Amino acid sequence: MSSKESCRNELRTAIRQLTDRCLYSASKWAAEQLVGIEQDPAKFTPSNTRFQRGSSSIRRRFRTNEITSTPPTGVAYVSTPVMEEDEVIHGDFYLLAKSYFDCREYRRAAHVLRDQTGNKSVFLRCYALYLAGEKRKEEEMIELEGPLGKSDAVNRELVSLERELSSLCKNGMIDPFGLYLYGLVLKEKGNENLARKVLVESVNSYPWNWSAWSELQSLCTTVDILNGLNLSNHWMKEFFLASVYQELRMHNESLSKYENLQGTFTFSNYIQAQIAKARYSLREFEQVEVIFEDLLRNDPYRVEDMDTYSNVLYTKECFSALSYLAHRVIMTDKYRPESCCIIGNYYSLKGQHEKSVIYFRRALKLNKNYLSAWTLMGHEYVEMKNTPAAVDAYRRAVDINPRDYRAWYGLGQAYEMMGMPHYALHYFRKSVFFQPIDSRLWIAMAQCYESEQLHMLEEAIKCYKRAANCNDTEAIALHRLAKLHRELGYPEEAAFYYRKDLERMEAEEREGPNIVEALMFLATHYKAQKRFEEAEVYCTRLLDYTGPERETAKSLLRGMRMAQSSFPSMDVEHFHP
Amino acid sequence: MAGVLKAPGAFAITPHKVSVCVLVQIYASPSQISIPFPFSSVSQHNRLGLYLLALTKSCDDILEPKLEQLISQLREIGGLLDHWLTDHLTSRLSSLSSPDDLFNFFNDMRGVLGGPDSGVMEDDQVILDPNSNLGMFLRRCILAFNLLTFEGICHLLTNIGIYCKEAISSCSSYELRRLDDSDIEVFADPKSEHNDKGRESSSYSSSGDLLRDVDLNGGVFLRTNWQIQGYLMEQADAIEKDGSSFTLNAFELTLRQLQKLAPELHRVHFLRYLNSLYHDDYFSALENLHRYFDYSAGTEGFDFVPPAGCNSFGRYEIALLCLGMMHFHFGHPKQALEVLTEAVRVSQQHSNDTCLAYTLAAICNLLSEIGFSTTSGILGSPFSPMTSVGTSLSVQQQLFVLLKGSLKRAESLKLKQLVAANHLAMAKFNLTHVQRPLLSFGPKTSMKLRTCPVTVCKELRLGYHLISEFCCEGSTMTTDGAFSTAWLKNLQKPVGSLVLSQDNSSRDNSNPFLFCTQPSSIPGSVLQLVGSSYLHRATAWEIYGSAPLARVNALVYATCVADASSSSDAALVHVKLIQHLAVFKGYEEAFSALKIAEEKFLSVSKSRILILKLQLLHERALHRGHLKLAQQVCDELGVLASSVTAVDMELKIEASLRHARTLLAAKQFSQAAAVAHSLFCMCYKFNLQVESATVLLLLAEIHLKSGNAVVGLPHALASLSYCQSFNLDLLRASATLTLAELWLSLGSNHTKTALTLIHGAFPMILGHGGLELCARAYIAEAKCYLSDPSFSVSDNPEVVLDPLRQASDELHVLEYHELAAEGFYLMAIVFDKLGQLEKREEAAASFKNHIMALENPQDGEDPLSNA
Repeated sequence: MSSKESCRNELRTAIRQLTDRCLYSASKWAAEQLVGIEQDPAKFTPSNTRFQRGSSSIRRRFRTNEITSTPPTGVAYVSTPVMEEDEVIHGDFYLLAKSYFDCREYRRAAHVLRDQTGNKSVFLRCYALYLAGEKRKEEEMIELEGPLGKSDAVNRELVSLERELSSLCKNGMIDPFGLYLYGLVLKEKGNENLARKVLVESVNSYPWNWSAWSELQSLCTTVDILNGLNLSNHWMKEFFLASVYQELRMHNESLSKYENLQGTFTFSNYIQAQIAKARYSLREFEQVEVIFEDLLRNDPYRVEDMDTYSNVLYTKECFSALSYLAHRVIMTDKYRPESCCIIGNYYSLKGQHEKSVIYFRRALKLNKNYLSAWTLMGHEYVEMKNTPAAVDAYRRAVDINPRDYRAWYGLGQAYEMMGMPHYALHYFRKSVFFQPIDSRLWIAMAQCYESEQLHMLEEAIKCYKRAANCNDTEAIALHRLAKLHRELGYPEEAAFYYRKDLERMEAEEREGPNIVEALMFLATHYKAQKRFEEAEVYCTRLLDYTGPERETAKSLLRGMRMAQSSFPSMDVEHFHP
Repeated sequence: MAGVLKAPGAFAITPHKVSVCVLVQIYASPSQISIPFPFSSVSQHNRLGLYLLALTKSCDDILEPKLEQLISQLREIGGLLDHWLTDHLTSRLSSLSSPDDLFNFFNDMRGVLGGPDSGVMEDDQVILDPNSNLGMFLRRCILAFNLLTFEGICHLLTNIGIYCKEAISSCSSYELRRLDDSDIEVFADPKSEHNDKGRESSSYSSSGDLLRDVDLNGGVFLRTNWQIQGYLMEQADAIEKDGSSFTLNAFELTLRQLQKLAPELHRVHFLRYLNSLYHDDYFSALENLHRYFDYSAGTEGFDFVPPAGCNSFGRYEIALLCLGMMHFHFGHPKQALEVLTEAVRVSQQHSNDTCLAYTLAAICNLLSEIGFSTTSGILGSPFSPMTSVGTSLSVQQQLFVLLKGSLKRAESLKLKQLVAANHLAMAKFNLTHVQRPLLSFGPKTSMKLRTCPVTVCKELRLGYHLISEFCCEGSTMTTDGAFSTAWLKNLQKPVGSLVLSQDNSSRDNSNPFLFCTQPSSIPGSVLQLVGSSYLHRATAWEIYGSAPLARVNALVYATCVADASSSSDAALVHVKLIQHLAVFKGYEEAFSALKIAEEKFLSVSKSRILILKLQLLHERALHRGHLKLAQQVCDELGVLASSVTAVDMELKIEASLRHARTLLAAKQFSQAAAVAHSLFCMCYKFNLQVESATVLLLLAEIHLKSGNAVVGLPHALASLSYCQSFNLDLLRASATLTLAELWLSLGSNHTKTALTLIHGAFPMILGHGGLELCARAYIAEAKCYLSDPSFSVSDNPEVVLDPLRQASDELHVLEYHELAAEGFYLMAIVFDKLGQLEKREEAAASFKNHIMALENPQDGEDPLSNA
């Protein structure tokens, strides 16, 4: 990794350049990373580092490997020269146009720049036109909404923009910002391959534009596409890869990239939030909660990614914390999809599903493609026993992202609830296809096979085996496997799984009827096998429990002693072969 | 959202409607003279009026014509006026440049309408009655305009701009007003980008016409929900009728565009499912089926009647039914049965009797089409209420019980089409199964173990009754949406009969418009059912052995219902007719007919025609002695069948039957017998008794040829008894003939028996048998006489010679060398005995020729065999 100092300088220049071109979200991102770089304590007074205080405690707790700022061996980072501003004439027109732009008067801004030919002016004009088109498109979508759904409103500027940018591109008169916009337009028009090419060109020549990376990321839907990209090595690429890996569900790879980046950008809220999201996907809720708490301490008015936090609080059933979070975000910004989603989660936790649906709907009104809101709303409808609506909501989620295994799982569950296990299997199969490491999905599928209507026990066993292999935290699979094998008349296998289940329960110090059941079976099984020593061990353990099993164990023990004493020869034969 | 039925969209004002308004204004401009300004004659005026009437009616179509199309139609109509009309129209449209222009335009329109007090108008004044068709149309347009928000008016204005520009950019002869170059390019550009897609869509015809103008850019004006649903239903019918006439990608593209325009219209997914189903894309079909039912819960479309109990469950049982049929279509019988079982359960649970009836019918169809040796473990608990006697019954008995139950249900629910379909299924069952009592205990009643042709006929007739019911009812089945699409189609269809006189038109009359053709009042699906009843009849007569009746029924089908029939049924009927030709007229005629059929069904259901071709090639190769070719063709036939057990049974049986025949012709008797034997085992396992009769007969023939007449006899007798039970008269005659041949080969003291048998079978053979069977019978008869020691050739030579001559004529047509050689050999012997040496030499030469031909088969003389 480049030195912190050079990163800092690069970012500072980039922020100025991005702001100058009105690429505000990119410059916001860059600025966040800039202050995320650890300051040199020798150079700065405590007041300078105020922003970065109060966070080291959890970092010490959770930093798994001590990251150093040395670059990984063998990777040579190209140093991209910071672009020199090509235009000396900071035209007055440009200043006017930028002011208009800042006031969201896009068409006026474009009009002011109509005769300017400098790269910067051309970019700002095109960008303003693009945004004007987008704004109009959004409005038209509302205006044209008919009984058959939203009409096909398009950004009417795309065609002329594409024409202009492509001719600029052909003549080599385009700068990286222009390329970014060109890529954006191409993507909107559905020309994904060319869009990727153009965006790669843009980020290779100007890597600090995070918006360009994000667009590129949304075009990398498979690992193969990702590997096909010809990206030059720059530290920004690490951010990009971490983000793509996360989207492609390669959570561990993503996590290690982010942890690596934390070596330089120690205090970056962005990285912290991304790590939290990755850990959430790995179901490490405790750590996620700590990270988010920390994040909120540093950045109390943050709304981004807070929906993930609310999911964690929901899972952990923290009523008051969730309500506190909901209150906080609604004071910050009521009309953000994340805010609505958090409130929806809160109501759901309170069991007020109708209200919860209202808020999820509001979130979806703000962002029609807000994936998790569709899925969560599906869950609410399931709770409300309105299965057709649930199915509809889940289906919308999978049509937005076909890899969303939760929604597939929800669909399967909904159909199973309606007594259509065979039909549900299709959805469970889809869900395990996209997330084969989640034991809950395999268990759900197995239960479907086990259902009274299907009664396909062999298949159920196969599913439970898969579930047992992928860290089944609720320990359902082993118990079911043992039971099924017993029912199907395979005592050897049943004993094997009961033993494993028992070991597991011992390791986790669980108590409950399952232990008694396992002990009981093993005792009788070994007795029948004439392996009295083992049988005795299990019987003795049964004596610790109350209930009828205790009596049975006693009688079993008695029976065994009798058998052993009356047939000593056999005993010898058995134990000393 | 699911379960919510959206109200059909309102009448929306579009640029096309504005155009029609302009034309109406021209037609009915208030003036004092009887013929308003631009028109030169009353007929000219009237023609425009009729055209406008048709336009307003077709305004309910899914997509509207572009200005360009409208102009070209105007040219046909306008005669000498066309320039004036089009110029006026375009200039009027392009003069609409601000929202206020639109306000004024519709105000003017109000003036065209006569007021409520227009009763006092003068006789010759042209004014539009507000209650006339055109008047109503105008009023609806004005109302729709008045309801628009200001944004709506802005959109209308933009759309009119696009509408005009498209027409102008495509025909440059019109002057360009108010349009600068860049704008035109803007709208020309997207087309060039979607060029390749456009090319695709031009390659299809039937559905293409309507939607070929769908462009991703503006300029497309969708209609109401109602109309689009109508369009989609029509397309669904069309796909089911003839799936392969749609190209997968082109129709997919259309649907994708439709979906983009109307994202909440979920029926599109169903059409996608059908499209991929008929193009054998399993995964896409599965995906789209699930998607459709996930979105709409089966409650979309106007055929949906909300249930009385107002349950919000949706109609997922229909999803199951469709899924089951899909698995059936793809040849996954086990899954199909599992899914349909679930469908039965869910239908019962939600008391959807209609769906239950259909599901039962589907299960019956599945059970009868696909061989199930046992249903135990599959047909489980949900069937026990229906098969109250438990599941110990054989598959056939279960099928019978299910069929009965299904028929009863359909009748009580008054599902006429299903009743008819069930009758047909019942007829099919009765045709091929002997009814046994379901309970095998109790005093044995006298059982008549035979099929009953009368019952079959009765069932077929009951199935046919459907058509009369629909004739009385009229077109209740046709839906508005579909109807309006038909209007536009008829408008574009140049058909002979003229409604408008084209008196003074300077153009040729070849392209008149036909406005008044109505779609047939009988729905296509009913006609299809009636057609399939004819097909069933043809098959029944084939099985019973009456060739003329089979042929007549096939011909009736081909002439009467071929238009409405699905392409696979039509192909089937061609197959039947060509097979008939081959059997009775020889291969030459059959092959020339096949060529025609191949052209006709070029892309359509290729497999059936392909199978027929292979069958004919095989038959001919066997007769000519091209055994290598025969084996090759036979193998090809086998490959066509699915690899799944019990699927494509018919084809599998056919292939292995032919395999055995080829081996027999190659004189590999033991192998032939082994193949035939295993085939018989399969038929027995799957309860295919009609086929068993054929296989047994083949076994008898194998033993006859291999010289084991004693072993052959019981097989022939068994076949005979099967034929008797199933009323297979022609096959029975054939079996009798084989039996006679067997007796004959046992020695000369059995000739009397053999001769009696042959004579007994003769009426059937000569009346209904094909060339080969007749020839065989003649030769066998001659052999009987010749081997009878008491028969003297010299006394009455014609008794022997006549049948031999007949046989040799027939065999000549068939090019059946082996049998022909035998005939000539016998003839030579007879002539020798008669002392007619010259004729003897002649016969001997013919014998030699046939033997030579048999031993040196000439390949490659026919182009068809290379295929």
